[in-house]
Amino acid sequence: MIRAEGIEIGNHVTVTVAGMTLNLDTIWSTVIAGAIVIGLGFWMRSKVTSGAPSKIQLMWEGVVNEVTTQVEGNLGRVHPFVVPLAVALFFFILISNWLELIPTGDVVKAPTADVNLVYALALLVIVGVHIFGIRERGLKGYLKHYAQPNLALLPLNIIEEIVKPFTLALRLFGNIFAGGIMIALIAFLLPLYTVWGADVIWKLFDMFIGAIQAFIFALLTVLYFGMMSSHDDEHAEAEEVAGQNDLELEEAH
Amino acid sequence: MAASNIDSAIKLAGAFIGGGLALGGGAIGGAIGDGLAGSSYIQGVARQPEAQGRLQTIFFLTVGLCEAFFFINLAFMALFVFVLGK
Repeated sequence: MIRAEGIEIGNHVTVTVAGMTLNLDTIWSTVIAGAIVIGLGFWMRSKVTSGAPSKIQLMWEGVVNEVTTQVEGNLGRVHPFVVPLAVALFFFILISNWLELIPTGDVVKAPTADVNLVYALALLVIVGVHIFGIRERGLKGYLKHYAQPNLALLPLNIIEEIVKPFTLALRLFGNIFAGGIMIALIAFLLPLYTVWGADVIWKLFDMFIGAIQAFIFALLTVLYFGMMSSHDDEHAEAEEVAGQNDLELEEAH
Repeated sequence: MAASNIDSAIKLAGAFIGGGLALGGGAIGGAIGDGLAGSSYIQGVARQPEAQGRLQTIFFLTVGLCEAFFFINLAFMALFVFVLGK
């Protein structure tokens, strides 16, 4: 790794176990992000009422409603695992992306700025999508859908299926990695009395980008599951029933 | 010693140039894509102002997808400069 006189890119605290190198700082950042998400869930659970809902209940209900609407629009009916998967991915990626806003020096970095976590998430989604496809259509139907609508599209479909996990992963990784680099560059290049201003502006923008990328990852998960189920109606977008969209909910938090 | 210095210098120079090209191409493509999405959004809202909420979701989705290619290019720039150029 090149050291640009003080900026170290891509250095991780590692430990070697049984010949495999584990990035410890990604692991503890992931644990922290997961603990925050689970904590939010338990907090809502303790406050859930059927009367006037609290703010945390509104947030969870809003997100689950939006995801359910998307899933119903894309898959026709609500499969029991797609909505929890999409909601869990959205919140976990959102909190992971926002972790790097906390100025702990270099101790807690955003885990999604490590390629390994991002590839793991994308692998989870893509393997799930393919197994779902095989279960839905049977092995023959699954293999046949590569040759639809025209046999000449077979190589294109195969390339698309291979490229999907890579773009899914690298989109998220690139956005958050660039945010981390920019924070280091701001501290390194600007004079000390302007660092706070540029830092605030960049971190606000990074929050926005992190929220968008979490939303896109979850939405693409739902869309990939939808594309792998039957292709009866080729509608790619669901109708947004309520005027509220969860982006406004994210920005309100 | 001098030969290996020149070799590694050439590799580093090539890595920087390649990374710069990747970033440049990604920036142009991403900016054009975002601009097209934004112009369609503005036209849609001008035609039908009450659709702004629904169109906004689609706009941000498209922006995220377009910016993805820039950031994929950025990841490759980091690969060239920090790993392969060494």
